[in-house]
Amino acid sequence: MSTTAAIEQLVNQPYQHGFVTDIESETAPKGLNEDIIRFISAKKNEPEWLLEFRLKAYRHWLTMTPPEWPNVKYPPVDFQAITYYAAPKSKKKLKSMDEVDPELLKTFEKLGVPMNERAALAGVAVDVIFDSVSVATTYKQKLADVGIIFCSISEAVREHPELIRQYIGSVVPTGDNFYAALNSAVFTDGSFCFIPKGVKCPMELSTYFRINTQESGQFERTLIVAEEGASVSYLEGCTAPKFDTNQLHAAVVELVALDNADIKYSTVQNWYAGDEKGVGGIYNFVTKRGLCKGVNSRISWTQVETGSAITWKYPSCVLRGDNSVGEFYSVALTNHYQQADTGTKMIHIGKNTRSTIISKGISAGHSNNSYRGLVRIVPTAAGARNYSQCDSMLIGTKCGANTFPYIDVRNPTGKVEHEATTSKIGEDQLFYFQSRGIGAEEAVSMIINGFCKDVFQQLPMEFAVEATKLLGLKLEGSVG
Amino acid sequence: MSVAVVKHPFVEALVSGGRALPAAPASWLNQRRAAALERANALSVPTTRNEEWRFTDLAPLTRLRVAAPAVAAGAVDVAPYVVPEAVARLVFVDGVPVPALNARCALPTGVMVGTLAAGLKTHATAIENHLARHAGFEQQLFAALNTAWLRDGAFVHISKNVALAEPLHILNIATREDTAACPRCLIVAESGAQCTIIEDYVTATGDAYFNNAVTEIVVAPNAQVRHVRAQRESLNAVHIATCAVSLAKDAAYISQSIAFGARLSRYNLDIVQQGEGARTEIDGLALISGKQVADTHSFMDHAFAHGRMIQLHKTIVGGEAHAVFNGKVMVREGAQLTNAAQQSRNLLLSSKARVDTKPQLEIFADDVKCAHGAAVGQLDAEQLFYLKSRGLPEAQARNLLTYAFGAEIVDRVPVKSLVAQFERAIMAQTGSGV
Repeated sequence: MSTTAAIEQLVNQPYQHGFVTDIESETAPKGLNEDIIRFISAKKNEPEWLLEFRLKAYRHWLTMTPPEWPNVKYPPVDFQAITYYAAPKSKKKLKSMDEVDPELLKTFEKLGVPMNERAALAGVAVDVIFDSVSVATTYKQKLADVGIIFCSISEAVREHPELIRQYIGSVVPTGDNFYAALNSAVFTDGSFCFIPKGVKCPMELSTYFRINTQESGQFERTLIVAEEGASVSYLEGCTAPKFDTNQLHAAVVELVALDNADIKYSTVQNWYAGDEKGVGGIYNFVTKRGLCKGVNSRISWTQVETGSAITWKYPSCVLRGDNSVGEFYSVALTNHYQQADTGTKMIHIGKNTRSTIISKGISAGHSNNSYRGLVRIVPTAAGARNYSQCDSMLIGTKCGANTFPYIDVRNPTGKVEHEATTSKIGEDQLFYFQSRGIGAEEAVSMIINGFCKDVFQQLPMEFAVEATKLLGLKLEGSVG
Repeated sequence: MSVAVVKHPFVEALVSGGRALPAAPASWLNQRRAAALERANALSVPTTRNEEWRFTDLAPLTRLRVAAPAVAAGAVDVAPYVVPEAVARLVFVDGVPVPALNARCALPTGVMVGTLAAGLKTHATAIENHLARHAGFEQQLFAALNTAWLRDGAFVHISKNVALAEPLHILNIATREDTAACPRCLIVAESGAQCTIIEDYVTATGDAYFNNAVTEIVVAPNAQVRHVRAQRESLNAVHIATCAVSLAKDAAYISQSIAFGARLSRYNLDIVQQGEGARTEIDGLALISGKQVADTHSFMDHAFAHGRMIQLHKTIVGGEAHAVFNGKVMVREGAQLTNAAQQSRNLLLSSKARVDTKPQLEIFADDVKCAHGAAVGQLDAEQLFYLKSRGLPEAQARNLLTYAFGAEIVDRVPVKSLVAQFERAIMAQTGSGV
């Protein structure tokens, strides 16, 4: 204990070299070292074990090198040029919808975002949004009534340290990969969701989440735990375009499903992808993994990836419980100079575990879109079953579509099937639409939505509608 | 900071063997050998951290104490390996040509079957243009070692518009323990020519040895080469092979490669299209058990339009064996209207057997039809039940189904006597209760 006190004393003493002024006291200097991590941890009043967790991750990170196997190209990231902690600055609130950028309003219009949510998304001060405070409060009350904990990770560390300590890093260990280790060392905030035994979450957590949308930060950490028999549907992100000055985003998402639990995690990602020349844009390097710990548990990932200059993510399922089920539904769209290397990993450990992978890749412009997936059936996974389908569509002659499935089977009762096709929009299909009086652009949008239907069906309804429109919007001008 | 280059005995043995070689008669050959020797010295032995070798551990090879083979080989009986349909047989024992064991019928004019040494006298230009030109050794340690070692090999040259219906048999026999051999083969089919080549690796011993083979096949416009490759090495041997195929406009390459043997085998099949409309059919079958590892890496490079490719790779894996398949199909920008289909089918017969399969598509053209599929599983319970309901005992029913699975590939081999031999081999292996 004495060391804790010593560290606290050390960290809390006024910085003698003058960088801690009244204005800057909330911001760590650029760069990364153990002191910065201690600083972050102290700033957030974290318990000793969490600091240890961060330091362990950091020390491991130092021994690692950035992965080179993904099929993406980018200049090396200077990790010493990043500010790892900045207290959330209160953004200048707009007073009414009239002050919102008309371009943004037009996008909302096209996507069909509900009226009361538009204001929140555009950053209009909450108190001028009609009724939304009461809506949010009602939701919060409704969740608390059934015992669901849904709050930020920092809040959870304070309020429910025993839960966080038990589950954080249990699915994605601190040394899992380069970016996960970095995240474990420096994560600043994120969400925590805990569904107690036998509780079915009464609403899509997305609804709540969208109204409370907040700056998630560069190193986001999400942890969702569903106890025995619990179920939850969670949606991350939204269809509205998101601009962010941070170029590197390295998030970690961990899901834990106990016996008979069911977690559905949907992502719609539309971060800034850079301009038509491929300048700028966000690097989205994410580690997402779910652990089906209990029997008959189920984890389902659905993702619609349309943004970011580079996407590097493999939402995975570790199927440890017998009869557990893993699902992955993905639409990845790349245009201009975007690069995506995305897919999933299904690790079958328990008996009679099943997994389904449906991946749809669409590449246009000069973009490069890769599916990379692993299906592993270990010797204990008797009767495991996997079905994978990866379809790619190319629009234009300058883009690339790649498929890299890894299939590793070590149990003869396992059954694995993988199929992949690559195609383009047929001249005859377009001709048929046009002969019926439907314009080329609209026809392409309809064909693409048909191509992605299997995935959109998995999205919560209102998002499915928005995602459909989003694809059309992203591809505007790339066809015909 | 200096990186310590780990050298393995087999590399040392081959590199020093390469150095000790007498100079070749042609200066360009000496240059290519020297360049390859330099690369072989510089490249390190791949480990499982290397993506291309991720699933295949070279430990059985690095443990091997091999030496360059002595010059003289003992007496070998070729009778068990004779293919009666073949019109010519070229025999190499431990990598060294043994003319006394060769056989040939009258060949039509325009067909040259012989050693590279003989070919250099009659077809110097063709050999200079193609030998060590297709199997790249810049980054490939094993191809570099083979090329550095290049002393002699098999050479087949089919002149323009000559169609040879009967197969040519290139027989490589391994006879001695702890030897390292570098078989080499160059096949050139001029425009409009047709031929069938049987590249056969057999053993007269059950010992551990190392075969590091490189084959180059050049198919000129409108020519067609059928290639049957049989790897029937000793169950203690290590067999590493590269086959580089270059296809000109409207050329066709059709191959069946069958792997039964070797403790560790690796086959790299690299096919490059050099013109429009080339056609490729590649089938593979690996039947392994015990602690065998069979790894096939195929790479099909579509660089021109209208290419067609169809591939079916099957593995039957018993015991604690491990089969690896990595099939990459590249469709480059401009290779429009390419039609490629790739299938990987794997049958696991025991609880400790393992399969890693990785079909890959890399596509940079938009008007193409490409598909791949992979499946891993065991024998179908319903089919087994059906056979048993007809009175077949369990073991026999299993054998029959396993045999049928493998026969799909074997039956495509265009040489009847080989089909019979392969079928017997499948029966023998499945019959031994893997």
